[in-house]
Amino acid sequence: MILKLNNASKIVNSGSNKIALLDNINLNVEEGEFISLMGPSGSGKSTLLNCIGMLDNFTEGTYAFLDESVHTMKERQRSKLYKEYIGFVFQAYHLIDELTVYENIETPLLYKNVKSSERKALVADILDRFNIVGKKDLFPVQLSGGQQQLVGIARALIGSPKLILADEPTGNLNSKQSEEIMELFTALNKEGVTIIQATHSEKNASYGSRIINLLDGNIVVE
Amino acid sequence: MSKNKLLSTLNLLGLSIGIGSVLTLFFSVYAYYNADSNIEDQENIYYLKTTTTAGDAYKQTPYPLLKEIIKSSPEVIAATHLQNWNQPWLEYNESEFQERTNYVEPEFFQVFSLPLKHGNPQTALKEKYSIVLTNNVSQKIFGDKNPVGKTLKVNDSLNLNVTGVLESISPYSAFRLGVLMPTELLEDNPDFVARANWNDSFSLNYLHLRSTTNIEQFESRVEELIKKNYKDPDLIASIKLMPFAGMRTDSIPVVDTIISGCIAASVFILLIVLINLLNLNTSTMHRRTKDISVRKILGSSKKHIIVQFCIENGILVLVSIFISGLLFLGFLLPKLNNIYGADFGKISFNIINDYPVILFTVLLGIVVTLIVGILPTLRLISIPISTGIKGKLNTIKSNFLVRNSFIVLQFSIAILFICVAIILNNQIGFMKNASLGFNKENVIVGNIDLEFKNEAFATSKLNDLYSKLESNPYVKNYSISEVVPSNYNFSYTQFYDPETDTEMRTRYARTDDGYLKTLEIPLVMGRDFDENLDKADSYPVIINKTALKVLGWESIEGKRLKGKGSSGVGYSVVGVMDDFHYQDMQNEIEPLIHFYRGKDALAYHKFLSVRVTKGHESDVQEFIANRFDNISSRRQYEQQYLTDKVSAQYRLIEGMLKTVNVVALLTIFISCLGMFGLISFMAKRRIKEIGIRKVLGAGVVKIVILLSKDYILLVGIASVIAFPIAWYSMNAWLMDFAYSISLKWWMFGLSGFIALLIASFTVGIQALKSATVNPTKSLKTE
Repeated sequence: MILKLNNASKIVNSGSNKIALLDNINLNVEEGEFISLMGPSGSGKSTLLNCIGMLDNFTEGTYAFLDESVHTMKERQRSKLYKEYIGFVFQAYHLIDELTVYENIETPLLYKNVKSSERKALVADILDRFNIVGKKDLFPVQLSGGQQQLVGIARALIGSPKLILADEPTGNLNSKQSEEIMELFTALNKEGVTIIQATHSEKNASYGSRIINLLDGNIVVE
Repeated sequence: MSKNKLLSTLNLLGLSIGIGSVLTLFFSVYAYYNADSNIEDQENIYYLKTTTTAGDAYKQTPYPLLKEIIKSSPEVIAATHLQNWNQPWLEYNESEFQERTNYVEPEFFQVFSLPLKHGNPQTALKEKYSIVLTNNVSQKIFGDKNPVGKTLKVNDSLNLNVTGVLESISPYSAFRLGVLMPTELLEDNPDFVARANWNDSFSLNYLHLRSTTNIEQFESRVEELIKKNYKDPDLIASIKLMPFAGMRTDSIPVVDTIISGCIAASVFILLIVLINLLNLNTSTMHRRTKDISVRKILGSSKKHIIVQFCIENGILVLVSIFISGLLFLGFLLPKLNNIYGADFGKISFNIINDYPVILFTVLLGIVVTLIVGILPTLRLISIPISTGIKGKLNTIKSNFLVRNSFIVLQFSIAILFICVAIILNNQIGFMKNASLGFNKENVIVGNIDLEFKNEAFATSKLNDLYSKLESNPYVKNYSISEVVPSNYNFSYTQFYDPETDTEMRTRYARTDDGYLKTLEIPLVMGRDFDENLDKADSYPVIINKTALKVLGWESIEGKRLKGKGSSGVGYSVVGVMDDFHYQDMQNEIEPLIHFYRGKDALAYHKFLSVRVTKGHESDVQEFIANRFDNISSRRQYEQQYLTDKVSAQYRLIEGMLKTVNVVALLTIFISCLGMFGLISFMAKRRIKEIGIRKVLGAGVVKIVILLSKDYILLVGIASVIAFPIAWYSMNAWLMDFAYSISLKWWMFGLSGFIALLIASFTVGIQALKSATVNPTKSLKTE
């Protein structure tokens, strides 16, 4: 089991009101799953992804990642954990404009203190695998949206994470590009990477092995 | 505007402080250059400067020279001495005053067109028994009344008629005047006449020449006069005409440094302020790109946009000028007077006289407004509307480079000032703590040059005091003397060794037999003065080691010294004292001779120095002061510690240090304000990038380093630029000191470190703020 949520909630104060962004979520994810989170805007998809990704914290309940209880960890340990095992893919790609494709992909390795020679080898591998060797010296603005997202995924994969969290990864792409990205995800999933994606699209959701519907912070049981 | 509250406040703060200090510096420079502006035809006024073959230079010549020059030179419109000789007591209505006194020729006002408040300059000094007062003195004696026609009794003997009162003279003027009297009076004085020969250079001469004068010809004529009249013309290398306009810097050498420092500082501060404004303006304008594009779509022309920005900046500048004016009058000017007032007198701001300063400030404000209003707008206006409307600019990169060079410049200046402050501090510390060759601790110095009403009575009272001092258990030694270290007169005389004919120009002073013991000046050879062996008329002298070296003597056995031109038997050298710093460390130890005068020779002695047991200073002070209560005198007995007297020599330089400290603080402060604004702007721009990096695993420390490292590097580059400049200029400045510290690498290192520390602090706070933002928040703002 890669992660287990037990009555996990996220409650924030808005003025004097308490709003539950996530309400008693119970979720088990096995290694190798491909989960699609669906639901309307504001249903808590992004918040759930952020909390699973440890960028944000649940305020109540328990969260175990690889059998370690995340909710009792200190910030430093959490950061170590997600650096090691989790990769993020965003709707708006979130590449760093000032860096080249190569440098963008290399950045997570820098923060993991990987040696220079090893970094070179890893980045070269992934550039080769994604067929973007020729683009390695370009800046993000010089790429199409699909290409940018490809780089975004390459960057998420560079640290060989066990889990990929993708928040509307194809939201800014046309249908052909979307299809390519989803096929890439399927291939990755076959290689053993666990994937959780948030999406609006039924079609994209169907690539997943399991669909979870969210509404107002609750998992809708079918 | 309210959106940019922080930036606007920073702008206003930096600008007000900057303009305020520029105003202060400019005002003091203006006051300095304007001080003698009421003297007409200055370019044709000269003074005489003697240079000896030994390399000494001084402004004095023998007294009779001026008359000979006037006789032989038709180019002279008017000429005058400015002779000091004594400070007679002026009596009016039972009260007595003593003021700086100068004796001048009747043509004084034809040389210097100093305006008179009362009286006629043509006739004021014509009569022998007349006296002209400065405004200050007149106020002191007569109050606000017009004193012309009143009579002042001088030294209980002469009656002088007040014939004129000078208008107030600026404290920065070349003139330090109190009262003026005709030289004719002086020529009645037998002591003066005895010294007014061709051998004794002690007269200041001023000449007003025709503009057509050939200076070289004139000087060669003076040279002939020297050859003809001087007893020993070979001693004189030249007597040159020096322009009066340059006289002030000639008399107090650090003034030049202070003035050029002021000018440099104001230019630098102005530059820094301007850069700040430009930087911050450019930054805010990037956020307003969209605003401008909308205006352009609505049909606004370039001119409108520029005018709008100029008005916005103009208001900012105007408000800061107003604040800086308050700062100047309420804080900076009093502070300035506090620092330099003791040496130059207090200056005050007066709208009627000093309106050019206000004009200057307003002009400055307009120029600043135009520069900071127009320059950044020009860039924005030329951006295509289609790009601008998106509110995004890709010109940031090149812009950043420009701003970087500005920051480097700002910090170079700031580091330069910190460097100067550190080096100045060290030099002063060195001079104050250097081993002086005598022991300045625990010595009380009192003035006994009090103009006693009854000298015989005073002498007996003082003798009584001396014997009491001898038996006082807390008094180790005491001495009465003409001088004490820090108060040596500029009295020079020419001596020679009759055996070898070696000549020596030497400083001299008179002391009793307790002087060396009291000040703990070591004796190197021979013996100290001894009241049982020595008498003033047996002419014993003690010389210092430097004199020994100059004379080339191995021992003083049987050595004598003779005065140049005197026919007496000369002086017997009884001892050699170690070299000690009888004056400040800016000046070298010269040959020095002490003549012996017994304790009873009250007329020669001015100081009573007492070495006391530590811890009993005030007991002894009180004891001595009480004795003087019973002796009636015109002046009050006052005492000081010798340590304070020695330290007071460096007051002016310490004033400089204070100014430099303030300027250094200002430059670094204003620079940091600018940098703070910039980094907060940059951090806002990079908020998304910071978010991404955090998601990718960057820690807070890494983000802070990412944001700060460029700026820290810039400070590093600034140091590299500032250090050689600081080294070069301070090295040149330290050359002026006979005894100076050598520049050490750590002084530069420290200044760089201080700048770095302040800069990292500024940048660090802002960077930390951005680095701790939760990335989910910054990435949501799409």
